[in-house]
Amino acid sequence: MNIQDKYLKNKKNIFFSENKDIQTHREKLINIFENDGFDKKNNESLKNINLKNFIDFEYRYLISEETSVVNNNQENSYSIVSVNGQCLNFKDDKIEITKILDEDYNDFSKNNTIENNDHFVNLNSLFLNSGFKIVIKKNNNIKIKISNIITDDDLTIFQKNNYICEEGSSLNLIEEYENKNNSTLNILNVIKLEKNSQLNHLLIQDNSLNHSLIITSHSSCKKDSTYTQKVYNFSEGYVRNFHYSELIEANSEADLQGIFFLKDNNTSNNKTFVKHLAEDCKSNQVYKGILNDSSKATYFSNTHVDQVAQKTEGYQLSKGILLSDNASYFSKPELKIYADDVKCSHGSTIGPIDENAIFYLRSRGMSKIAATKILISSFINEELNSIDNEQMSEIIQKKLIRYLSKVK
Amino acid sequence: MNSETLNTLDSYSKNKYKYGFVTEIDDEKPKKGLNEETIKFISLKKNEPEWMLEWRLKAYSKWKKMKEPKWANLSFPEIDYQDIYYYSAPKGFEKKPKDLSEVDPKLIETYNKLGIPLEEQKVLAGVAVDVVFDSVSVATTYKGELEKLGIIFCSIGEAIQKHPDLIKKYLGSVIPPGDHSFSALNSAVFTDGSFVYIPEGVKCPMELSTYFRINAENTGQFERTLIIADKGSYVSYLEGCTAPKRDDNQLHAANVELIALEGAEIKYSTVQNWYPGDEDGKGGIYNFVTKRGLCAGKNSKISWTQVETGSAITWKYPSCILKGDNSIGEFYSVAITNNFQQADTGTKMTHIGKNTKSKIISKGISLGKSQNTYRGEVSFLRKADKARNYTQCDSLLVGNQCGAHTVPYIDSKNNTAVIEHEASTSKINEDQLYYCRQRGLSHEEAVSLIVNGFCKQVLQELPMEFAVEAQKLVSISLEGSVG
Repeated sequence: MNIQDKYLKNKKNIFFSENKDIQTHREKLINIFENDGFDKKNNESLKNINLKNFIDFEYRYLISEETSVVNNNQENSYSIVSVNGQCLNFKDDKIEITKILDEDYNDFSKNNTIENNDHFVNLNSLFLNSGFKIVIKKNNNIKIKISNIITDDDLTIFQKNNYICEEGSSLNLIEEYENKNNSTLNILNVIKLEKNSQLNHLLIQDNSLNHSLIITSHSSCKKDSTYTQKVYNFSEGYVRNFHYSELIEANSEADLQGIFFLKDNNTSNNKTFVKHLAEDCKSNQVYKGILNDSSKATYFSNTHVDQVAQKTEGYQLSKGILLSDNASYFSKPELKIYADDVKCSHGSTIGPIDENAIFYLRSRGMSKIAATKILISSFINEELNSIDNEQMSEIIQKKLIRYLSKVK
Repeated sequence: MNSETLNTLDSYSKNKYKYGFVTEIDDEKPKKGLNEETIKFISLKKNEPEWMLEWRLKAYSKWKKMKEPKWANLSFPEIDYQDIYYYSAPKGFEKKPKDLSEVDPKLIETYNKLGIPLEEQKVLAGVAVDVVFDSVSVATTYKGELEKLGIIFCSIGEAIQKHPDLIKKYLGSVIPPGDHSFSALNSAVFTDGSFVYIPEGVKCPMELSTYFRINAENTGQFERTLIIADKGSYVSYLEGCTAPKRDDNQLHAANVELIALEGAEIKYSTVQNWYPGDEDGKGGIYNFVTKRGLCAGKNSKISWTQVETGSAITWKYPSCILKGDNSIGEFYSVAITNNFQQADTGTKMTHIGKNTKSKIISKGISLGKSQNTYRGEVSFLRKADKARNYTQCDSLLVGNQCGAHTVPYIDSKNNTAVIEHEASTSKINEDQLYYCRQRGLSHEEAVSLIVNGFCKQVLQELPMEFAVEAQKLVSISLEGSVG
C-alpha cells in the first residue's frame, strides 16, 4: 500500500483532516512522496535507513484506556505521563497544557528550516494523530518531567508537541523515552522561546530492540533567550535525533549536545542544524558517539550564518570511537557562512581508543577491559558532569555502566 | 571594518583582468553542437585508430543518458551543449612544427604577453614546456633529453598513435567514462592534453610543464591528461592556465588521470588563472575538472597542489584512491574568489590499503560577492587498517557580501583508522593588520602579507618555478581584491 492510500484509509482518525489549509499542505507532501520517489542520494534523512520498513509500515493507532496524568508534586515542579502521545488538558497560573491545535500545525508548516525532503517529518505531518502544547507563563521558573509511554505493540504514533516559554520564564524539561514494545514513535517538538527565556532540555532515550524512535525538534530563540539540549541515547532500537535551532533575534544562544551508545546491529542517525539570523548569537553543537559490534551511525551538523548575523560565534565538535571492526561512523560537519565578522569552527575525529592511554593504564596493572571502560567514561565525562540534576545524573550513570558491562 | 579598508577593497575589486586579450588566428572548426558526427570529425581530424573512435562513441552514448551532478553549491545558467564548438585548431597545424621557429609568431607573442616566453623559460628554468593552444599541441621541447631516459612526454593524440598499448591499458582506468556526466563528455570529445610515462626506477630530472590556454570564442576545451609512473619512479608535473577576456561563457571539462605504481611518486601542481568574468559577473570560464590519482602499488605517493584564482565557476575535486598498502595522498589547495566567482573545490581521499595516509590542507579566501566552498570526502574502507588522515580547512572572509562554506564528508568503517578534521572561518585579524600598519606597511601591503602568510602552508608545496609565480598571482588576485 502506498503512502497516499494509507493516508486516505486512515483519514478519519488523523488530526485536522477536515481543515482545508492543512489538507492542501498534505496533498503537497503526498506529491513529494509520489514524485520525488525515495532518492537516497543527497538525502540526509534517508542515509543508513532500511527503506522497506519505512515505506511499508502498517498504520495503527489506539487511544489508550490508561489515562495520562499531570501531577503538581512540588511547587513549580510537574510530572506528566503522556500516553500514546496524548496528554490531559491542565491549567494553573503558571503553566497551561492543551491539545495541539490547527493553527499550531499551520504555523509550523510555514517554516522552511527543515528541508521538505525530510521524509520522516513529512510522514509526521501527514499522519499526525497525537500531540499537546505546553505554555510556560511569564516570569515563572518551572520544572517538568515527561514520561512518554506507549501502551501496545505495533502502534505508529505521529506526534507534534509545542512548547512556548513566555517572556522571562525558565523551564527545566526532562523527557524520558523508555519503551519495551515494537512500536514506532515519530515525534516533532516545536519550541518557541520568547525574550529573555530559558529552556534546559534533557532527553533520555532507552528503548528496546524493536522500538523505533524518530525525534525531530525545531527551536526558535528570540532576544536574550537560551536553548540548551542534551540527548543521551542508550536505545537498542533505531533512534533518529534531528534537531534544528534558529536564532532569530540578537544575543540568543543555542547549545545542542548529544551522546549515543550503540551496540549490536543498531543504527542511529543524528543531525544538528543551527541557523544564525541575528547579530551577537552563539551556538554550540557537540556530539559524541561510541560504537560497538556492527553498529552504524551518522552525524550531520550544520552552522548557517546569515549575512546580517555579524559577531557570530558558532562551534561544532564531533567525536566518534569505534570499538569493533564492523562498526562504521559517518560525519559531515558543515559550515555555511555569509557574514564576515564571525568566529566559526568545527572539529571532527573518528578513531579507536588511544593505544598509548591503554598502555599507560595497563602498565599500572589494569586489565585491558578495565582500561577501555575507564577511557570510554572519561571520553564523555565532561558531558556527564554538566548535568545539574543529581537524580538524572545517577540514572544516566547506571545506564552507562550497563552499556559498559557489554563491552569486551 | 574601517572606511579605509573598504576603500582599499573597493579599489582592488575594480582592477581589470591583466591577461585579457585575443590573438587573431583563423580557426578551423566543425559545426557547433555535440552529436556522433562531431565525434567522428574529431577522431578523423586527429587521425585516430578505430578502437579510439569506438571508445569515444561509447562514452557519448553514456553521456546522453546522464545528468549533471548536482551536489555542488553553485548556481549558473544551464549549459547548452549544442551551442559549443568541440574542436578548434589553428589552421595549418595538422602538421606539427618541429621547433619553435616554425610556430606561428602570434602564438609566441601571446605567451610573451603572459610573461612566459618559451625560449627563456626553457633555458632559465630548465622546464620542458608542452604548450597547448586551443586543443592542439604546439611545441614540445626538451623532448630529446627526456627520450634518453626513456620518458615519454607528448600530447595524448600522439600517444594514441605511438603507444596504443599504454593508452588502452590505462586510459579511463582511474576515471571511468561513465563516472559522471563531465567525465563522459570529456571522454567523448577530448581533443588534446598531455601524456607522460616514466619508466621503472627513473627520476624525472626536470619539472614537466604544460601551459593551457583557451583562445577561440565558444570553444570548450576538453583536455585529457594521463600520467603513469612506473615502479620506483618520480615525476613532478606543472600545469598553469590563463585565458583571454571574453563575454561568452566558455566551458572547460578536463580529465586528469594519475597512476602511481609500486614505490612511485607523482607530484601534480596547478596554477589556474582563467578569466573569471568581469565585476558584474558577466562572462568567465566554467571550469568542470575531474582529477583523480590512483596509488596502485605499495609505498606509492600522489600529491596535488593547486592555486585556484580564476574561472567564473570552479568545480574541481582532485582525488586520491589509496589502494596500495602504505601509500600516501596529499592535497594542498588555495582558492581565491572575487566579484561573482563561485568555487566548489576540495578533494576525495579513499583509503583502501593498510597504513595509508592522507593529508588535506585547504585555504579558501572569499572577497567581493563570491562564494567559496570546500567540499571534501575522506573515507576509510573496512580493510584500511591503521590508516590515518589529517584535514585542515580554513576560510578567510573579506567583506560582508561573500560566503565561505565548508562541507566535509567523513566516513570510517575501520576501528584502527584515525581521522582528524578541523576547520575555522574568520575575517582578517584586526590586530595583525594594526601590527603591520604600525610598522609602516600600507594597508594594501599589510593585507597582502597576511593573506600570503595564511596561504604559505600550501604555496611552499609548489615547485620553485611555480612558487614565485603563485605568490605573485595571490597578490594580483588580491589587487583585484586585496594587496
